[in-house]
Amino acid sequence: MRVERLNEPVKVRADFAGGTVTPLALRRGAETLRVLRVNARWADRRGQERLHYFACTVPSGDVYELCLNAHELTWRITSVTLEG
Amino acid sequence: MSFRVLHVDIDAFFAAVEQVRDPRLRGRPVIVGNGVIASCSYEARRHGLRAGMPLGEARRRCPAAVVLDGHAPTYRAFAERVFAHAAAMAPGLDTYLDECYGDLAGTERLHGDPLARARRLKDDVRADTGLTVTVGLGPNRMLAKMAGKRTKPDGLGWVTGADAEAFLSARPVAELPGVGPAHGRALAEMNVRTVGELARLPRETLVALFGAHGEALHERAHGRDSRAVAAREVPLAVSRETAFHADTGDRDEITATLCYLAGRACRTLRELGLAARTVEVRIGYADGVHERAQAPLRPPSALDPEVFAPAERLYLRLHARRVRLHRVGVVLRGLVAADGRQLDLLAGDDGGRTERLVGGLDGLRERFGDAAVVSGRSLHLLGRLEKSQHGFVLRTPSLTQ
Repeated sequence: MRVERLNEPVKVRADFAGGTVTPLALRRGAETLRVLRVNARWADRRGQERLHYFACTVPSGDVYELCLNAHELTWRITSVTLEG
Repeated sequence: MSFRVLHVDIDAFFAAVEQVRDPRLRGRPVIVGNGVIASCSYEARRHGLRAGMPLGEARRRCPAAVVLDGHAPTYRAFAERVFAHAAAMAPGLDTYLDECYGDLAGTERLHGDPLARARRLKDDVRADTGLTVTVGLGPNRMLAKMAGKRTKPDGLGWVTGADAEAFLSARPVAELPGVGPAHGRALAEMNVRTVGELARLPRETLVALFGAHGEALHERAHGRDSRAVAAREVPLAVSRETAFHADTGDRDEITATLCYLAGRACRTLRELGLAARTVEVRIGYADGVHERAQAPLRPPSALDPEVFAPAERLYLRLHARRVRLHRVGVVLRGLVAADGRQLDLLAGDDGGRTERLVGGLDGLRERFGDAAVVSGRSLHLLGRLEKSQHGFVLRTPSLTQ
């Protein structure tokens, strides 16, 4: 298992229904990756900004950690966990 | 049944969070740590792995183990969610890294049967976080923790005041809090192997053997623990420690890291409204030798320059061998309320400039995040270490002890 720490802006399609955020897909380069499952979600803070984290499994089985900055409404990939 | 204290322990905490984040890790031996095991999954424990074991030995014993560096802020976020569920059952939580105690006095009329409520707490934590916790209920802190420990992982154990003596008497003496390897050996030489046998020894004998600690052992052997459960207002110490990404002998890198760690520890103190009376510096050489030294802070301080100056002197005195360092850390002890500190009449007065400067920097970090400002002495780390919203990404996440 290999963890790549990143801090990469990313476009995310998300569902904001019911007062919760659920990432549905992310676009990395030319590739669109469907989110199969949100394994975990947690929140943190950077100064006054609230950051929401999501650990998401994509079809390859890899786990992408996405971060939503609720203040700026921007998404970043903070890490990818790869098999091998 | 009536219980006074709730104890909640998160099972294999760091490793369990990693297994929740990545389902591929479930059922596999998982280690979180750097240099030594900070936490390992129950699958890893079946191979004899334990917290504190060097990673080299862990890899030899369990080559299939997945080793992860871990990420302290993530673990803190999960712990806070678990503690929030515990606080709904018992107010006035006394929280630690992966466990907490709650005072149940007077809550029965509110919650009804404490065992049913504890089962609901476990279910709520699992549904919300995916983590399992072991819950213990007892008449005091010690018995609540021991009751839960017998049922780990994912257990629920309880002891009533009436059952305490019977519960303790057959337990191995090593399970009693305060009986470490040295005391255990001394007691084994006297053929004392169970808590019941220890309880039969007169108080005077234990005091003669172990000094003041013998008094505490006597009380505990009889199931007595008078420590109150309440939210801690003043921690015992605040420490920040890290391993280097690669062992180093570069004094600029080491002092820059020490300065950064001292700044983080000071900021935690200021957030708590505290000042330290003592600063301790710890270094770990690449060959496994550890050294530590401490110096008083007069007057007590939580200001970065006032803490870093003696810390740097301690480091320069400690690092006497021509061996690379593996880790460095700073510990601030003897914590007192910052506004009650005794001023030093003979010390030079900068008219509060340092305090205002540090306060201004805190304001910037509060607004823009910890990585927004870097002190001059830590500039050496810029470009060498990655930065996240929490500051520099250290090899070992900084955790308060």
